Amino acid sequence: MLSRLVLVSASALKSSGALGAGLVQASRSLHSSPQSLAPMPALPEKGGKVRHGIIPEELFQLLYPKTGVTGPYMLGTGLLLYLLSKEVYVVNHETFAAASIGIVIVYGIKKFGPDVAALADKLNEEKVAKAQEVKDVAMASLAQAIAEEKKEQWRAEGRQALFDAKRNNVANLLETNHRERVHLVTNEVKKRLDYQIALQHLARNHGKQSIAKCITDLKMLAKARQAKATA
Amino acid sequence: MTLNFFDQFMSPTHLGIPLIALALSLPWVLFPTPSARWLNNRLLTLQGWFINRFTQQLLLPLNVGGHKWALLFTSLMVFLITLNLLGLLPYTFTPTTQLSLNMGFAVPLWLATVIIGMRNQPTAALGHLLPEGTPVPLIPVLIIIETISLFIRPLALGVRLTANLTAGHLLIQLIATAAFVLAPMMPTVAILTTTVLFLLTLLEVAVAMIQAYVFVLLLSLYLQENV
Repeated sequence: MLSRLVLVSASALKSSGALGAGLVQASRSLHSSPQSLAPMPALPEKGGKVRHGIIPEELFQLLYPKTGVTGPYMLGTGLLLYLLSKEVYVVNHETFAAASIGIVIVYGIKKFGPDVAALADKLNEEKVAKAQEVKDVAMASLAQAIAEEKKEQWRAEGRQALFDAKRNNVANLLETNHRERVHLVTNEVKKRLDYQIALQHLARNHGKQSIAKCITDLKMLAKARQAKATA
Repeated sequence: MTLNFFDQFMSPTHLGIPLIALALSLPWVLFPTPSARWLNNRLLTLQGWFINRFTQQLLLPLNVGGHKWALLFTSLMVFLITLNLLGLLPYTFTPTTQLSLNMGFAVPLWLATVIIGMRNQPTAALGHLLPEGTPVPLIPVLIIIETISLFIRPLALGVRLTANLTAGHLLIQLIATAAFVLAPMMPTVAILTTTVLFLLTLLEVAVAMIQAYVFVLLLSLYLQENV
């Protein structure tokens, strides 16, 4: 925390007028990270490892080669005993108060720590989930649009066949209509011709019949006249 | 130099340098600045969530004119709660035990609410001096009482915070001293006293948070009346 304050104030100092230029050049040898801000450098997944809540793991790693696993603990115990025995730290009423508040703090962290961490993680998860949902909905709608477009294209192809069928239908209808009319005309003409033939037949037969009838009639008349004349 | 329980409340100086400036700037060092990232670490996420929820809850009863005070209220709340909680650690100095600091917060902010009320809606602001439905003969007395009550508000705000924290710290010191002194003589009683100390510490943690919240809540109520 305080190191962060130092870093922030150091960067503010670097950008200030008087010392700025010289400091920037001189401190370049101390730079360790890549120093570029785009793309944003990735954050570490987990924070710095600590043992017993406050002591950084790096201390243990530092002392391990020389003093092994128990090194830092011996250091801590020795330091504490030195402070107490030489009365650099005097045990007084504040020690009791410190123990009291220490118990409260440690109990609080142990009991509520995981829940608070879970809450923080859940807040972040919800943020990511919301963005992910937007992305998923957009992708789904685009995929659906593509599928519908393909279907429309297929329909457009099919329309040709539809037009052909319709054209055939219309042609059929026209043909049928035409044939019907021709049929009608033929029938009418036939009827008329039949009438004329019948008329002629009738006329011919009737003529023949009428002459024969005339002759018979005349014969009858003649007979009747002869009879009448002889009587 | 006799043991003086009030030494803990003296404004600390070292070689003539007033250390209260350091004590007052410590809370701001402890909170991370919001970063430019979309997803942050846990501390920053929790801080943002807490500030959002708190501001939302506090500004719920205020109308739009009062929303200008959001930043002031939230930062005041964070400041006070951190000062109070940090003061519970051993060998620390709590600036909020100083009446001067608390009056320095209470008087200007209360005066600001009163002046805003008088300037924007003087009739309504003066109307608050007479509660609705009072019987007619009581009116003069009640107006005087309400005016006194109005002017006592900043005093009450400041002294409430000071008194609560000072009393709490003093009690902790006293009971801790009692436990410390009794420990070699009567260990059983000392254990009892330590239990009392533990419970008192729990109470003080709660009081630290509640007093900061009450300070800010009352200010928001005074603003609600006047805006």
